[in-house]
Amino acid sequence: MMARYGMLIDTTKCIGCFTCRTACQRQNGLLPDEAFIRFEQREVGEYPDVHVENVPLQCMHCEDAPCAQVCPTGAAHMGADGIVEVDEGRCIGCLYCVAACPYQVRVRNSQTGAVDKCRFCTVSAEQTGTKMCTCVEACPTGCRIFGDLDDANSQIVQEIARTKAAPIAGDLTASKVFYVR
Amino acid sequence: MAFEPIWGVIIASYLFLAGLGGGAFAAATYLRLRTPGCAHLIRYGRIIAPVTVIIGLVLLMFDATAGFHNPLRFALLLTNFGSVMTWGVVFLGLFTIISLIVLIMDLTGHGLKIPVWLDVTGAVLGICVCVYTGCLLGVAKTFPLWNNALLPVLFLVSAVSTGMAAILLVGIFRAPSEFHRSGDFKKFHFFLPIFELFLVACLLFITANSAESAGWTSVMNLVSGDCAAAFWVIFILIGLVIPTGLEFKMLFMSTKEVEESKTGHMVSAASDLFVLIGGFALRLLILTAALPITMVQPWI
Repeated sequence: MMARYGMLIDTTKCIGCFTCRTACQRQNGLLPDEAFIRFEQREVGEYPDVHVENVPLQCMHCEDAPCAQVCPTGAAHMGADGIVEVDEGRCIGCLYCVAACPYQVRVRNSQTGAVDKCRFCTVSAEQTGTKMCTCVEACPTGCRIFGDLDDANSQIVQEIARTKAAPIAGDLTASKVFYVR
Repeated sequence: MAFEPIWGVIIASYLFLAGLGGGAFAAATYLRLRTPGCAHLIRYGRIIAPVTVIIGLVLLMFDATAGFHNPLRFALLLTNFGSVMTWGVVFLGLFTIISLIVLIMDLTGHGLKIPVWLDVTGAVLGICVCVYTGCLLGVAKTFPLWNNALLPVLFLVSAVSTGMAAILLVGIFRAPSEFHRSGDFKKFHFFLPIFELFLVACLLFITANSAESAGWTSVMNLVSGDCAAAFWVIFILIGLVIPTGLEFKMLFMSTKEVEESKTGHMVSAASDLFVLIGGFALRLLILTAALPITMVQPWI
């Protein structure tokens, strides 16, 4: 049966150390100027109770992926298990997907000119049990949970319910990445 | 993160040249039906159309780096008919073919044998190309400055205006007698920048009041922010207001002698050149000033 993979990111645990981003770059062999995770930081609260909130942003693997809708070559497409994929061999680098993505998380590879983004590579650990250093495993504070959103017994589904995690921008798109704020 | 415009000068040039080419062909077809005696002006339109569109397409391919390195990938452009860009490729491809056939027939002395239906089909495709350049941006839902129905209309009017200006600009120097006889065409051309001014005003009012604050921010970028000098001086003043003033003087306030004098020619040429500058500035400004709704911090 097909899974519907998603991720939960608990920003209340995030210390903004960028380990997830670095792990992702190593895991996927990215260029130094190519990162699939983008950090936004902002001050929240009122004096004297003020703190910095770190929000790691990445491809939300939207079920109604705007990037796949506009991609003229079919390079950006909905793959198996609800993972939005980029077929690098089809990408012409027109950047139409970059304009369509509401989250500004698609990056252009400065060497090939093709566009890329989070691949949900943790899925291979989930499926084959391969140990690897993904954003999920690398996070020192355990911010991230990965799993099947259709499996009611999965840790991610239970944690989303418990923490009332929600997509970062409401129903802007049907995002499969959920945030605890 | 500060938002960097996704597309810059190269894509602005492509949008400008594609519109100019489509507009020039439509204008040449109008001339053919309305004043068939202006054979030179018609020919200039038929030359300008494929040349500008092809230059635009080369720029586009150059900007699409991954495709530029692997040209066979461009064949895949016809695989997703849900994408506006795919439709644009269809329109651009058919338009280029028809405009080249018409041009070759004209240049080989078969100009009189070009069937009306071929010219009209080319003109319709040319207009589709002009509208497509606006729809291309228009479907990006998160940019209020782009995601509205006014933009394709504005781009169409601007494209036809620049296409006509290009024909007239060449005509002034190469076929002055035909230029003098094309009063109808010039009057039509005169009204386009005025119409464009109204469309720009509507676009800004509607966008500034869109539900998302990014609409307001984008408009402020244009009228009082980083893009303000270019917007007011290059686009509004040089691109629209001055050509309207100059053309008004030449068409309605000048004697035939002044109109046909060397000074008159220079004034008309300046006006047409300004229209072209304004057309390019419009595309670049629209690309540069637009902000996505998710860029303004409070959303996260």
